[in-house]
Amino acid sequence: MNEAKKLSWQGWGVWSQRLHLPTLVVFAVILVIWEALARRYGAYILPPPGSVVEGLISVLQSGDLWRHTWASLYRIAIGFGGALCLAVFMGLAAFVWRAARVVVRDTVTVLNSTSVFVWIVVSLIWFGLTDMAPIFTTFMITLPVMGANVLEGVESVDRRLLEMGQVYRLSGWERFRAIVIPSTIPYLVAGMKVGFGLALKVSVVAEIFGVTSGIGYIMNYSREILATQMVFVWALVMILIMLVTDKLLFEGLTRRLERWR
Amino acid sequence: MKLEVLGISKRYLLPILDAVTFEAAEGEFVCLMGPNGCGKTTLLRIIGGMEPPTTGEVRIAGRPVTYGGNHTLPVGVVFQEDRLLPWQTLEENVALVLRPLGKGRAERHEVARRYLRFVGLHGFEGYYPNRVSGGMRQRAAIARALAIEPDLLLMDEPFGGLDAQNRRIMQAEVKRIWAETGKTILFVTHSIEEAVAIGTTLIMLSARPARVRELIRNDGRQDPRRLIEELNQMIMEEVLRQQGGPVPGVV
Repeated sequence: MNEAKKLSWQGWGVWSQRLHLPTLVVFAVILVIWEALARRYGAYILPPPGSVVEGLISVLQSGDLWRHTWASLYRIAIGFGGALCLAVFMGLAAFVWRAARVVVRDTVTVLNSTSVFVWIVVSLIWFGLTDMAPIFTTFMITLPVMGANVLEGVESVDRRLLEMGQVYRLSGWERFRAIVIPSTIPYLVAGMKVGFGLALKVSVVAEIFGVTSGIGYIMNYSREILATQMVFVWALVMILIMLVTDKLLFEGLTRRLERWR
Repeated sequence: MKLEVLGISKRYLLPILDAVTFEAAEGEFVCLMGPNGCGKTTLLRIIGGMEPPTTGEVRIAGRPVTYGGNHTLPVGVVFQEDRLLPWQTLEENVALVLRPLGKGRAERHEVARRYLRFVGLHGFEGYYPNRVSGGMRQRAAIARALAIEPDLLLMDEPFGGLDAQNRRIMQAEVKRIWAETGKTILFVTHSIEEAVAIGTTLIMLSARPARVRELIRNDGRQDPRRLIEELNQMIMEEVLRQQGGPVPGVV
């Protein structure tokens, strides 16, 4: 093969990967199979792709999309935000106080082994049919994920850099600010990324019970009124929220924090 | 500024240092040599207040060094690794250690730039450590140690990770810095050629537990080639002793 042709083929390969062309091909195949299966089994079992697009347009026009998305995001923000604050505080305690490190590690292990359903049931008993059920569930499920990450970050701080800080007589606060925080932040951001994904999945489950807004509520409601295509619409909305936050929020954050690498 | 090392012993499972005693007058360039693993780094860490001795005392300008790093006099340390903060630029790295001296932000950065220029890093102030070579990182670490204007500079095999060419350049650089600043320098090295080339006082430690085996004034009157030969002979004996002899403290 001559050189120019070879190069142009390589260029094509790079571009097709950058545009995720192979993935798009697979998606197209799945869409075709989906359409075929939808015709075979009927719209109640499997709504055709076209009706899902129509449903998405209808919730966009009616404003339901924003109403339920914001309701879910608001609960996630409080539950996830609260867990984030506590995780950072736990990391701080673990750094300052050796005994706290053991307590934090054990707490994280215990919390990690509890099921989502435990917290949903418990919060229904404690808070009844209120916003607090999804908020509390999100909080309890994301706390160990972020706690474990922050703890790992604190434990991986380079002792040699801390010793350097001590030799040069930096105060405890200066060492914390200049050495501990920057080395922990990548772990925290990684934990936030996983935690946020988990928060979205978990809070939606908790919203099935007791609240009258949010993606989980509307999904379950759509099932009850036999609007299967709307279940698919809201699933699609969840996927989009996840992709957008991942791309815009966390990728941007990571890039900004890791300029020095 | 005078450095006094008075009967320093250190036990850590095994006896490592055994009553190491020597003095260095102001402006001396002391090179510390000895077989691998004999306790050179431990001794430097004790002098720098990074580790407590089991017995004995270190005095800097007559004042005892206490463990914990809260010396009353600033001591500059250049470690085996550069130990720069990778998330700060070279200038920020140097400016950071000036904080405890109570200087304002503008002054800290001005001093940092001055010392970076002094070690030949003019133009690289805004670079992150990962973007410059190992030799340049080690220069920045030296600039950081000098910036606090220490009376004593401790250097622990600072050129161990450099290639032969960079090593020679850095040796000449340190000799120039010593001549221009008149600092007292304690320089740990495993290279006898390096010690003879730059040191004014050469200290040979014995095999573990280390004692001062020989203290030589290298004032230029000796023939450097014969000196290197003698020291090589000594270190061979000590290495053999450390490997072959019975290890004290173990049954």
